[in-house]
Amino acid sequence: MRIDSTHRAWLVASAVILGVSAVLYAIYRVPASAGSMGGTAMGLAFGILGFAFMIFAGLLGARKKVPVWRVGRAQMWMRGHLWLGLLSLPLILFHAGFHSGGPLTAVLMWLLVIVVVSGLFGAILQHYLPTVMTREAPLETIYEEMEHVNAQLRQEAAELVEGAGARTAEDEEGVTIAVEEQAAPLQRFFAEELRPYLENSAARRGPLADASLAERSFAQLKRLLPPELHDTVDDLEDICEEHRQLARQARLHRWLHGWLLVHIPLSLALLLLGAVHAAIALRY
Amino acid sequence: MNAAPGLIELTIDGQKVSVPAGTTVFDAARMNGIRIPTLCHQQNENPVGVCRVCVVDVGARVFTASCIRPAEPGMVVTTNSERVESARRTLVELLMSDHPSPCARQQHSGDCELETLAKDAGITQSRYPRRTPRASDDSSPAIAVAHDACILCDRCIRGCNDIRGNFVLSRMGKGAAADIAFDGNLPMGESTCVSCGECMVSCPTGALTNKFVVGTALGREHEGAPATVEELLALPVFQNVSGTFLELNRNAVVKRHYRRGEIVCREGDFGSTAFYILEGTVSVSISTPIAHVKTAGGERGFFSKLGSFLVGRDGDEREEEVDRRTIPIDAPVDLDYSHPVAELGPGDLFGEMTCMNFYPRSATVRAESDCTMLEMLRNVLDSMLKNKTFRARMDATYRQRALEDHLRRVPLFATLDQAFIDQLRERVELIRYAPGQAICRQGDPADSFYLVRLGFVKVSERHAGGELVLAYLSRGDYFGEIGLLGGGARTATCTALDHAEVVRIPGEEFRAMVERFPAVRSGLEAIARERQDANRQRVAMLGSVPLESFLAQGLMEAQSLLVLDLERCTRCDQCVRACADAHDGVTRLVREGLRFDKYLVATSCRQCRDPLCMVGCPVGSIRRRNSLEVIIEDWCIGCGLCAQNCPYGNINLHPFTVQADDPDAPGRKKAMVRKKATSCDLCTSQAEPSCVYACPHDAAHRVEPREFFAPLLGISAARKEAE
Amino acid sequence: MPRTRTTKKLAQRIDLNYFQKPRPFRRWRFWLSVTAPVAAMVWLGWHGLRGDPRVYSAGQLSRAHAVFANKCSACHVMRAGLFTEKTSDSACLACHDGAIHHASQTFTPSCGSCHADHRGAIRLAEVSEESCTQCHANLETRDGPAHYFTHIRSFNGDHPEFAVLRSGQPERGTIKVNHYLHLQPNLTGPNGRVQLVCADCHRPAADAQPWRFGSGIASAAIAPAASNESAGRPPSFTQASPAAYMAPATYAQTCSGCHLLTFDKRFSEQVPHDTPQKIHTFVVAKFQAYIAAHPSELRELRNPGRDLPEKPVPADYRVLTPTQWVAEHTAQAEDLLWRKTCKQCHTLNFSPEAASAPNNPAPLPAIAPSNFTTRYMPDAKFDHSQHRLVSCESCHVATRTSQQTADILLPGIATCRACHNTGTQAAESRCFECHTYHDPGQRKFAPGQFALPDLLQSMTLNRTETPADGL
Repeated sequence: MRIDSTHRAWLVASAVILGVSAVLYAIYRVPASAGSMGGTAMGLAFGILGFAFMIFAGLLGARKKVPVWRVGRAQMWMRGHLWLGLLSLPLILFHAGFHSGGPLTAVLMWLLVIVVVSGLFGAILQHYLPTVMTREAPLETIYEEMEHVNAQLRQEAAELVEGAGARTAEDEEGVTIAVEEQAAPLQRFFAEELRPYLENSAARRGPLADASLAERSFAQLKRLLPPELHDTVDDLEDICEEHRQLARQARLHRWLHGWLLVHIPLSLALLLLGAVHAAIALRY
Repeated sequence: MNAAPGLIELTIDGQKVSVPAGTTVFDAARMNGIRIPTLCHQQNENPVGVCRVCVVDVGARVFTASCIRPAEPGMVVTTNSERVESARRTLVELLMSDHPSPCARQQHSGDCELETLAKDAGITQSRYPRRTPRASDDSSPAIAVAHDACILCDRCIRGCNDIRGNFVLSRMGKGAAADIAFDGNLPMGESTCVSCGECMVSCPTGALTNKFVVGTALGREHEGAPATVEELLALPVFQNVSGTFLELNRNAVVKRHYRRGEIVCREGDFGSTAFYILEGTVSVSISTPIAHVKTAGGERGFFSKLGSFLVGRDGDEREEEVDRRTIPIDAPVDLDYSHPVAELGPGDLFGEMTCMNFYPRSATVRAESDCTMLEMLRNVLDSMLKNKTFRARMDATYRQRALEDHLRRVPLFATLDQAFIDQLRERVELIRYAPGQAICRQGDPADSFYLVRLGFVKVSERHAGGELVLAYLSRGDYFGEIGLLGGGARTATCTALDHAEVVRIPGEEFRAMVERFPAVRSGLEAIARERQDANRQRVAMLGSVPLESFLAQGLMEAQSLLVLDLERCTRCDQCVRACADAHDGVTRLVREGLRFDKYLVATSCRQCRDPLCMVGCPVGSIRRRNSLEVIIEDWCIGCGLCAQNCPYGNINLHPFTVQADDPDAPGRKKAMVRKKATSCDLCTSQAEPSCVYACPHDAAHRVEPREFFAPLLGISAARKEAE
Repeated sequence: MPRTRTTKKLAQRIDLNYFQKPRPFRRWRFWLSVTAPVAAMVWLGWHGLRGDPRVYSAGQLSRAHAVFANKCSACHVMRAGLFTEKTSDSACLACHDGAIHHASQTFTPSCGSCHADHRGAIRLAEVSEESCTQCHANLETRDGPAHYFTHIRSFNGDHPEFAVLRSGQPERGTIKVNHYLHLQPNLTGPNGRVQLVCADCHRPAADAQPWRFGSGIASAAIAPAASNESAGRPPSFTQASPAAYMAPATYAQTCSGCHLLTFDKRFSEQVPHDTPQKIHTFVVAKFQAYIAAHPSELRELRNPGRDLPEKPVPADYRVLTPTQWVAEHTAQAEDLLWRKTCKQCHTLNFSPEAASAPNNPAPLPAIAPSNFTTRYMPDAKFDHSQHRLVSCESCHVATRTSQQTADILLPGIATCRACHNTGTQAAESRCFECHTYHDPGQRKFAPGQFALPDLLQSMTLNRTETPADGL
C-alpha cells in the first residue's frame, strides 16, 4: 500500500505512541543501571503491547481469507498492519531493554528484525514496482493466466505464419514454388528465432528479447519479404512485443510478491515463538 | 372479344381465359388450373424471371418467362408444346448437372423443387459435366448454407431484402463464379443476418436448410410426418389460409406425436419452431428457480449463518421488484415464481418468440398426456398469425389467461377491482409490430397505454448528443402511462426491436373509468413526475464532449466503471476473491481489460446507458429498473444471449449445481449442473462493493466515469455543477 | 488482418476460476508457512527432549550460579496451587542467609527484586542504587521517625556528611594527643632526633612489622576492644577484617620508646604502664628492696642546697625507719608520677575524700578510661588495605595541624567523592560498596541442600571436557 495523505492519522498516532513509549522507557530505564528486565511491570507492559501489535499485524492474513466479512475495510487493516507492525519493533526493543537475553529471546529478536525489515522492503517495493509494471508492460495480463496467454500467442503466431505460406501459395497457382520461396525467410525466421523465443517464457537473452534489436530483426525480415507479407510481419512483431512485455511483467510480479515468502513464514514462526516465550516468561 | 371492364381475354393451351389486367401469364394460367412449373418464382415475391423454367410460348421470337410477362389481350399461350417441354428439360438438366443430387433437402424431406422437376421430367443423370464443387457455410446457428446446391434463383435475396428488409443477402461474382453472399461475402454466422429464416423458407433446393429440421435430435427421435395440405386445411385454425401457400411450404409444418412424459423442448435450447397443440396437455415449467443460488448446496450451519451475518448479505430483493412474482415465458401463460409450472392444452400455441425471433426456448415443455401437435417454421406461423380466425383465438387466449396478470403487475392497476379489470380486458387492442417499427414517437401526443405481450421494445430518447436508450422492455413490461393522463407529449420513442406485440389501452377508454378511481389518477401523476425528473437528469448528463479514447473504449456508454489504479494495485487478486466470496464462489469481475490513463478498466458490468445485454432474454430474467445495477434473476435459463450481446464480456455463464426436477422421475429432485449467467450487481445489498471494500491497497474504485475522469476529459467543474 | 484488442477478447481468454487454482507461489507460501513454525517447534522440542531448559533462559546466569544453568528448578520452584514458577525467596534462602535489614522497615523487598540474575556473568551482590533508594530516597519506618537521613538517592547526590563530622561533636578520647607536635621533625627520640611517620603509631592489626618506638614491654592486658562500640553492636563486625581497620595505638607499641616511666634516679627501671594501684605496689616494693640493700641510706643528711626559704630548716640528719623511708620516697615518686609523668598524657582524678584523709598522705588517683573511638563509621565498611595507593595524609588532611585530642581526624565525604563517583572512570559509588543491607548481626549459616552428584549431573550438560577421575 502506498503511504499517502490518508495515512496521516495513523502516522500521528504512531509517532505519539513511539514518543510516549520512548519517554517512559527513558524514565524507567535510565535510572535502572542494572539493566531493565522484561519482567518488570513496565517491561511487561511494553511486551504485551508489542505482542498485541504483532498479533494484529498477523491477523491481516486471516482478514484476507474472509474478504467480505464486514469487520473493517481492508484498507484500514492494511494501514494498521503497516503502522502497528512497524511500532512493534521499538516496543519490543524497549521491552527487552535492548538486550537479547537467552537463546529463545535472541532468536525472537532476530525474527522480529527480519520480519519488520522484510516488511519495510516489501512496502518500499509496493511504492515503485506497480508504477514500473504499469509503464513497462502495458499489455500485461493476469500473472496466473500467463501460460495460457503465451500459448495463445504461440498459436496465433503459428497460424499467421502458416496462413502467410498458404495465402501466397493460393493467390498465384502457377507460381507455387517461387511463392513458397518467397515466404521461406518468414518460415525460417519463425522456426529458428521466433518460436523458440515464444516457447521460452523467461527468455532474457537473444535478439528478440531486447526491444530495439527485435525491431531491427523484424525490419530486416521485412526487407526479405514481398510487400503483401508485411502485415503478417507487423502482427508477428506485435506478438513478439506482447511476449516480451509479459516476460517483463512476470519478473516484476515475482519481485513484487517474492518477499512475502520470507515475511509470512517467519512472521508465523515469530508469533508462535512469541507466544511460547510469553507463556514461559510469565510462568517463570 | 370485349371482356368486362378491367378484364382481358387470352387463350392458354387452347382455353379461353379472362383475367384482370396486369395479371402475369403464369397467374392467369394458375387461376385457371393450368400448372406451369417454376423454380425462381414464389408467389409472395416479385418475379424476376431468372430460371426460365416457366417459359411458355406466346408466339414471339423467343419463349417468354411466364412469371413476369403480363398477359395481354388476345395472347395465345402454349405451355406444354414439345419445344417448350424440351426447353424446360434442357434447363433442368443443366441445373441438375451442378446439383449435388440428392441434396440435403431431398434427403430429408424429398421435396427439393429442382429434383422434383428433374424426376418429373425423367432426368436421372445429366449429360453435362459438373463444375468444381463449392463450399458449404455452417457458421450460422440456424441455417445451413450449401453453395453447391444453390441455383441462384434469387428467391432468398428477394426474401431477405424485399420481404424482410434485412438486406443481408446479395449476389456476388460473375459467370460460373457467381454465388450468393452475406454482407459482402462474410460467413453467414458473422454477417448481420438475424436468422429470420425467410431465405431458408424461400429456397427451392437444399442450398439453405434449417439446421434443426435437417438432422437434429428432435428430427430423428420423434416421428413426424409432414402434414398434408388436406389435413391442415381441415383444421379450423388453417381456415382461410391459402392452400397454395401451404402446398409450397408443406415441409415447414410437421405433425408430431408425443407420448406421455416425453420432453417436447428444453429451456435454453435454441430453436426455430413454434408448436400448436392439437390434442393432449403439456406442462410448461422452468426447473431451476431457487431463491438464492448456491454452488455447493449451501450449508445452513451455525458458522455459515455467522458468516452471512458478518457479510451482511441480504436477499437479492429490490424494492421496486417485490411485486414481480411471475416469470414471463414464451407461451400464453406466465409462470408463477413460487411454483413455476403451468399447463397448456389444445389450441394453445407456444414457442412463438423462438420461432419468430430465434430466441432460445424459455421453458421446458413436457407432455402430460399423449399429445399431437404441429411444429412449424416461421413462415407458416407468420401466415397463420395473419389469419384473422387464428389471431382472434390467440388474442382471446391471451386476454383470458395472461392479460390480467400483466395488468395487475402495473402498480397503477393493482388496486383495481375485478369488474373493472374484466371490463378493461375486453377493450384492449393487441397490435403487432415489425422489427424497427416505432410504436410511438417522442413529441407525439400521448393517448395510449401499452403493455408488452411479446418481443422487445426499446425506449429511447433523442437529444443533442445522439440517442439515449432508457430501457428495454419485454413481456409484462409497460410504458406510456403519461398517455393515460391525456394531453401530454411522449417523452421518448418506443420502437419494436423484433417482432413485438403490444396490448394497447386507448386513453379515451381509460379516462372515463379513471374518475371512479382517484387513487389511480394520483398514482399516474406521481409516476409522470418521477419520469420527468429522471429524464431531465439523464439528458442533462450528456452535455459534454469526452476524450476520443474514452469514447473508443465505450466508456461514454458506461454509468459506472470498476477501475483499478495500476500504480497502487499489487495484482494480489483480493478483489476477485472478495467478489467470488460474496457471490457463491463465482467472480463477477475479471482483472483484465483495456487501460485508460493509469487505470485498468476491469471487466465488470458497466451499467451501460444502452444495455445491450437485455435484448433478447427469453425469460426476462435480466433487468434493471430504477437503480443502476443490472441483475440477473434466479430463473435465468443459461441460454447465453446476454453474454453474447455484452460487447465487453462482462457477463459470463457459469455452471451451478442446483436441485432440479429429475427429468426421468418427475416429482423427485436431482443435483444437476446448470449454466447461469452471472454479472456484477454492484453489491447493492452491502454498503459498498465487495471488491472496493476488500482491496488492501485502496486501488479499486467504483466510479461514475465522467465525474471521475473529469480532469482528463476537460469537463469543467462548473459544467458538472450545473448537472 | 490486423490484430485487435478489445475488452471482450482480453477477458474471454481468462479462466473465471483462475484465482482458485493452485499456483506455485501459493504452494510455496503455504508450505513455507507450515515449515517455519514447525521448525521452530522442532527446535524447541529438541531442547525439550534433551531435558535442556537453557533455551528458555532470559540471559546468562551470574558466575556464582552458573553451575545451576541446567537446573532451573533450583530457583524456579513450583509451589502447589499456583501456576507461576517465578523464583521465590524460599529458593534463595535455601542456600543463602538474607537477614532482614531493620525490624522497623516498612516493607521487605524480595530477594530477586534487588539481586536479579540472568543478566550475564555479574556479581549478584552488586545491586543497583535503586534497590536501596527505593526506601532510602524517602525513608519511612513502621514505628516513629527514622533515625537516619531520610532522603538519600546517591552517593554523590544527597548522601549526607558522615555522622561524626556532621554532628560536630568532639572526639571523646581522654588521652592527650597532639598530632601536630608529634609530626614535627627533630623530635627527641630514644637515640637521638627522630621524625615520626603515621605508621609509627597507626597500623592495621594484621601488620607484623616491628614498632620503631615500641618498647617490647607487653602492655598490661588492657583490652581496648570493648571501649568504643555503640551499645548493642556485636564485636564481630569490627573484628571482621584485621587488615581493614587501624588497630588502636597502644602505649607499649607506639609511646613507650620516647615517653619513659622512670620514677627515681636510683633505678633505671620504669614503672609498669598499669593501674595506679599496681604502680604503687611496684614502687613500694622497689624502695623496700633498695633500702634493705642499702640500709646506710636510712640516715639522711641535710642538703643545704635544698633548703627552701621560709620553710622550717630540717635537722642535719634524720634517721628513718625503713618503713618511713619507703613511705617518704614512695610519696615523692608518686607525686612525680601522678603530677607530671602520667599527667602528661592521662587525665587523673583525685577523689575529694582522699585529699582530706589524714592517714593517707598520698592518695591514688583514678585514671579515666582512654575512651578512644576505634570505629568512626559503624554502619559502613571501610578498608584501609584497599586504599593503600593513597598516602595517609592525602585523606586525613587535618592531622598535621591537629593539636587537640578532640579533633576528629576522619576525612569528610568530600574526600571520598573525589574518587568514588559515577562514571566509568571513577571508583564504585553504589551503595553496596560501603553499606550492606542484610544485618550481619543476624547472620547465620544455611545448610547446603544440593548433593554433589546432582550438581555434577546437571553440570555435565554444559561441560566441554569430561570430568577428571576421582571427582
